[in-house]
Amino acid sequence: MPNSLLHELVTLTTQHFFLVGVSMLFAAIVAIPLGIILSWRSGWRDVALGVVNVVQTIPSLALFGFLIPIPILGGIGAHTAIIALVLYALLPMLHNTVTGILNVDAGVRDSATALGMTTGERMWQVELPLAAPTILAGVRIATVTTIGTATIAAAIGAGGLGVFIFRGLAAVDSMLLLAGAIPAALMAIAADRGLEWVERALSRH
Amino acid sequence: MGGTRALAALILAISISGCSDEARPITVGSKNFLEQILLGEIAAQHLEHRLGQRVERKLNLGGTLLIHKAIVNGDIDLYPEYSGTSATVILNLPPFNNADDLSVQVRREYEARFHLRWFDPLGFNNTFAMVIRKADADRLGVRSLQDAERHPFGWVLGMGYEFQQRLDGLPNLLRTYALPLRGTPKVMDLGLLYRALEQGDVSMVAANSTDGLLLSLDVTVLEDNRNCFPRYDAAFVARNQTIAREPRLAAALQDLSGKFSDDTMRRLNHQVLVLHGSVEDVANEFLRTSGLLKEP
Repeated sequence: MPNSLLHELVTLTTQHFFLVGVSMLFAAIVAIPLGIILSWRSGWRDVALGVVNVVQTIPSLALFGFLIPIPILGGIGAHTAIIALVLYALLPMLHNTVTGILNVDAGVRDSATALGMTTGERMWQVELPLAAPTILAGVRIATVTTIGTATIAAAIGAGGLGVFIFRGLAAVDSMLLLAGAIPAALMAIAADRGLEWVERALSRH
Repeated sequence: MGGTRALAALILAISISGCSDEARPITVGSKNFLEQILLGEIAAQHLEHRLGQRVERKLNLGGTLLIHKAIVNGDIDLYPEYSGTSATVILNLPPFNNADDLSVQVRREYEARFHLRWFDPLGFNNTFAMVIRKADADRLGVRSLQDAERHPFGWVLGMGYEFQQRLDGLPNLLRTYALPLRGTPKVMDLGLLYRALEQGDVSMVAANSTDGLLLSLDVTVLEDNRNCFPRYDAAFVARNQTIAREPRLAAALQDLSGKFSDDTMRRLNHQVLVLHGSVEDVANEFLRTSGLLKEP
């Protein structure tokens, strides 16, 4: 592998990691608290899950097409790609947070109330710890799929490993395609294994 | 005994497939983008009219290498191609062959190497086109790439990955014109380029000269006054074998030569892409207005 390509591989892998990391952070900040709220409000739940379901079906290029004309948020570059990736990551995170909390055994919840816990205490000390493995499973699914999806960031000038893939497609160069696809696949496997380990550590409690 | 019978069966099978090949309708192919599909449909309708027989369509076939293989193998009988594309992708000729006789050279090579006939150019040149917002063109008085060399703040370039990668694309542009640039070029999906230009994220994009959108957006195509981009003159390519089988095919395809201009092709693309006309109707309308199709 030529040196310049290796150098670029490092740069693009770093960019890819950054895109995924920042997107996951924002998605978790939005989806987990929202999921907690939705577990209390059954009326909003169907609406919110319906919306994130629909977002999931919008093709990425179409989503970029909608985002480019939006002032401040839109335009081309990393921020637009991150917005798209956050929107795509919402479904698994939100879904798993809601399911995790709702699946906490009713008996456990009742005993917590009987012990005199407030709703807030019950959420922090009982429901969230019990729901944590499910919530984390949602984060794990979102992370692994986002590592794949983040290759579309290259369609909007945001860099990442997709650059190799787009360039390889344009130049009919299989080596470039692989230079993008293999590191992305390795990153996905590593993230999956890593989060699986955290998940198991959490469920041991 | 069994061996002989198998051999006989094989010979029979070959002769049958040979016969059915004779009866096969003429098949028009095209690559997988709108302009190609339109040209394929125009040829198909025109041939149906001129030859009075059914013509098969295999439009939307993929890239240059794939469709070239298809016509060499006889899966299709003809398709539209561009001189510059054939020269670089199929024939491996140097990309900067700007001679007007590129089509002549391609024709000679196709005949000798592939037994394919390269017809006279259709009349339009789908090459790279550098495009800026009309407001900028008017404000700065820029009409050509040479004018664009003087820009007080520099251009923010936007382009697709292909333009960035190809020798006759970005490297060629920057070698020919001393364009002042601001920041590194933004590389993105082709479909998003015009939006980024309209939105002001970039100030000059590398598009194609026959893009239909050029007609509906407030943009200016900069003149390439130093002829830096190679010519991509469109023409039909057909199998010699098919022409031998149906000699009227050559004259019928020749009818289409010279019937187009850059503006005509841009308009046809525009009618389907922007005005949502069907490919069949737009092709039919074109054949009527150019006098090739007369009956109601």
